[in-house]
Amino acid sequence: MSFHEVFTRLRFFLFRKSPRELDEELQFHLEQATQLHIAAGITPREARRQARIDFGAIEPTREAAYKERPGWFLETVLQDVRYALRGFRHNRLFTITVIVTLALGIGATTAVFSVVDRILFRSLPYAHDDELVSIGLVQSLETQEFMLGGFFYDWRDNQKPFAAMAGQSTGPHSCVLTEINPQQLNCINAQAGFLPLLGVTPVLGRNFLPEEDIPNGPDVALITYGLWKSHYGLDPGILNRLINIDGAPTRVIGVLPKDFEMPTLQAADVIRPVALAVAKEQRSQNGGIGQPMRVFARLKPGITIAQARAEMDPLFRQTQEAFIPKEIRKDFRLSIRSLRDRQTQDVQLVAWVLLGSVLAVLLIACANVASLMMARGAARERELAVRSALGASRVRLIRQTLTEAFLLSIAGATVGLVLAEGLLLAFVALAPTSIPFLDKAHLDLRIAGFTVLLALLSGAFFGLITALQKPRPIALAARATNSGRHAFLRQGMVVGQIAISMILLSGAALLLRSFQKMETQNLGMQTHGVMTAHIALTGVRSEPVAGLVSRDGQKQMEIFLQAEAAVRRLPGLRSVGWSDSFPPGGGWQNGRLFTDFVVEGRPRPTERAGGSVRFRGVTPDYFRALDIPIVRGRNFTEEERTSNQQFLVLSRLLASRLFPDEDPIGKRIGMGSDGTVLTVVGVAENVRNGGLSDQDLPEAYWLRRNIAADWGVPVPIMVFDTVQSPAAVTPWIRSQIAAINPTIPVEIETLNERMSKLADRPRFETALLGLFALTGLVMAVIGLYGVTSYLATQRTQEIGVRMALGADRGDILRLIAREGIRLLVTGGAIGVCASLALTQLLKSLLFDIGPRDPVTLIAVTLLLALVALAATLIPARAAMHVNPMVALRNE
Amino acid sequence: MPPTKPQASQPADLLQGTLDLLILKTLALEPMHGWGVALRIQQLSKEALQIGQGSLYPALHRLEYRGWIESEWAPSENNRRAKFYSLTTAGRKQLNAELANWDRMAAAIALVLGRREAAQ
Repeated sequence: MSFHEVFTRLRFFLFRKSPRELDEELQFHLEQATQLHIAAGITPREARRQARIDFGAIEPTREAAYKERPGWFLETVLQDVRYALRGFRHNRLFTITVIVTLALGIGATTAVFSVVDRILFRSLPYAHDDELVSIGLVQSLETQEFMLGGFFYDWRDNQKPFAAMAGQSTGPHSCVLTEINPQQLNCINAQAGFLPLLGVTPVLGRNFLPEEDIPNGPDVALITYGLWKSHYGLDPGILNRLINIDGAPTRVIGVLPKDFEMPTLQAADVIRPVALAVAKEQRSQNGGIGQPMRVFARLKPGITIAQARAEMDPLFRQTQEAFIPKEIRKDFRLSIRSLRDRQTQDVQLVAWVLLGSVLAVLLIACANVASLMMARGAARERELAVRSALGASRVRLIRQTLTEAFLLSIAGATVGLVLAEGLLLAFVALAPTSIPFLDKAHLDLRIAGFTVLLALLSGAFFGLITALQKPRPIALAARATNSGRHAFLRQGMVVGQIAISMILLSGAALLLRSFQKMETQNLGMQTHGVMTAHIALTGVRSEPVAGLVSRDGQKQMEIFLQAEAAVRRLPGLRSVGWSDSFPPGGGWQNGRLFTDFVVEGRPRPTERAGGSVRFRGVTPDYFRALDIPIVRGRNFTEEERTSNQQFLVLSRLLASRLFPDEDPIGKRIGMGSDGTVLTVVGVAENVRNGGLSDQDLPEAYWLRRNIAADWGVPVPIMVFDTVQSPAAVTPWIRSQIAAINPTIPVEIETLNERMSKLADRPRFETALLGLFALTGLVMAVIGLYGVTSYLATQRTQEIGVRMALGADRGDILRLIAREGIRLLVTGGAIGVCASLALTQLLKSLLFDIGPRDPVTLIAVTLLLALVALAATLIPARAAMHVNPMVALRNE
Repeated sequence: MPPTKPQASQPADLLQGTLDLLILKTLALEPMHGWGVALRIQQLSKEALQIGQGSLYPALHRLEYRGWIESEWAPSENNRRAKFYSLTTAGRKQLNAELANWDRMAAAIALVLGRREAAQ
């Protein structure tokens, strides 16, 4: 279309031609034709008649000419919109019901989508994120890929499937930024190739140069956008400034982009070069294995993860042979996962379940709206038939209905967006920390676009179902009343709704029962009044990676022992112990393999069998604080803390497996290759130690003695039980520790809080699915009620006749209720079958309950039957009270 | 859309878009009113093509809305006020384009029907 044409069209769109012009033209045409006939010798009167006959109808020409007008289509759309709005105003109850129903469906879907979007769909903030993988070894105690400096360079230099490969240090450690006041930050280290691998360019400055990423290289750092903003007010002068990190003047060489996140999702404020010594030198570090690291790689174009794994396998085998001690070799595997899986693999199922269930709710809502629209369409059938008779085409009538549907769905989506914002607030309040990105979920353009799409789709869904009902000419007859001709489709939808809510209810009920069981289970320890204090020393990583513990604990031990002595002086504290981790789980938990326990006098097992064993380093008061009974032998004693021997307490489970027919007390067990031997002094009762929902592991407690080697990484956490309230104790503890060193941050929690965090995710899943199931149930029941009462109203006259012929009220009740019950039974049956198939998906989310738990299924069926029965009986009862006289006179 | 009645004065259905071409061609000679256009087409086609007002005026309006022709009220031969249409520059370009298109089409159809040698 040329500019000229657009301009002409626009001109005519704004300044329309007067309709009189066309009339005058046509008049002129007619006159000329008449003249022609007169000239041919016909009488003027006959000539006029002849000309008119030739001329044909004028009105279609007018209309046809009018339709050519630019903007004609838009005009008809506006006409439809005005007409629809007028209709909505007339029928407010209908309009509000539809908008609320849609808002519930669309709002809930939008909220859930914004939560799962980043987990399942949204691209990661890296260039070509689908090519990025996490690569490394995994073993039973470390399921996230890791590499060691000792073989990293071999892999990097000899691999073929990747375009690039680079790593970062395993975890952020706390570091102190000294400006005016010291501030604690998270520092992490990365290789020079790390940012280029991810395709991330600093918004300011540059990445590390290779010559900065070497041992004893210059002190340079990249800072995050957040730190730049909060600390330096976005001052571009930050570049090349020297800032003081951990006492070292460090040059800021760049600022990371605003949306930057570590591929491990670890929080970091400052990135410094990892400055690894290369290749051979690595073998002399860290006991000959080199620095542990997290390594990421970019697949070459066209290479799949499976191909990459196959190509890396020889290198892995070589490493396995040359590098990993024979007895643990089999435990290590090569793992290559997409970056998305690395970040969210364990929550993807939950995300799909939530998204699926909320879409099911939306489907139910749409079916309800379609049903309402159809009921309204039936009432308006005569109007449509009149329009049709007056020349409105079928397409035009469908367009009218679709216009109405889209208007309603857009209104529903608008209200839904507001609702979604509210729901998101609720989600974040419930937010389990184990669902990544949840706290960052918010409504943005992408989500709004999704909402509009949802609105259009649902509008098309219920609009088309309604629109395809063709008005029948019979509707024009004044006396015609509607038979239940929409009924079949509506009944079908009700059956679907009941089936879907049955599935939702089963899922929610299973999660609820599983959650209850989880909450009320016997943990084997007391949690009430037990508190923990985590003392975070700067420069000390609190959790090891890849099972690498550090024996360097001089710094911690002195402060921790002082802290213990200080806390013991406080009133109301009964026992003060230490442990690196706490049951039932959460956070880092140390573990050993069953075969690491070599009982003296028995051969060293050659096969790595028997799974892993929880391994905790504790002091004697640990058992007292958590009230874990010693069932055999005795607890560690305070004196043993200064002994030069090492002692062990076994859990009952471990004792029964290591010593099925012997008394374990006094037995000596060798651990590790360095000849360490520990003496068993007691057996403690089992505690729940595999998380809230997983199976219990055997457990061994080693005595943490007052020597530096026992206080390294994992850094122990203080545990104590108190009769005072946590609120009262917390400031005392803080002041005691501040008296030792005022700059040490202390994190104080009750054990119940720790536990509650563990239950966060099941609680979140249960609450959400429960909410959706209830919403779905309510809507489905409303739908059932609607259809039953609609059918009952349709049959008012029939009921009148039946009653006049002698049917009693019970017959009428049965007549109407039978209809509803038929739908209920069909829907319920489909629902039960589908539930049996689908709840299987929830298996890994359930604790101590099967995915086909019959009690739950029966209870859910009963609940649904009861509610649905009520929904059919109400209209049936109303029909029962029809006065036959009134019903018949209505004819 | 109301059903458009078939026009009695239109013996053969014109090919889609052909009417526009005919009108443009007719107006290329001189500005003309609607009646004149209908008459001229009828004469030139030796009475074979009769354009009814029912399709003529919507077509004239369509062409005007697209900016290919423009209209002006002027006295007619018998001093009656009539609306005269004339071709615009854009219209002339369009006419040439459509003529070329027509030639291609006609040649192609003739080829298919075996009425003409492929060499042409």
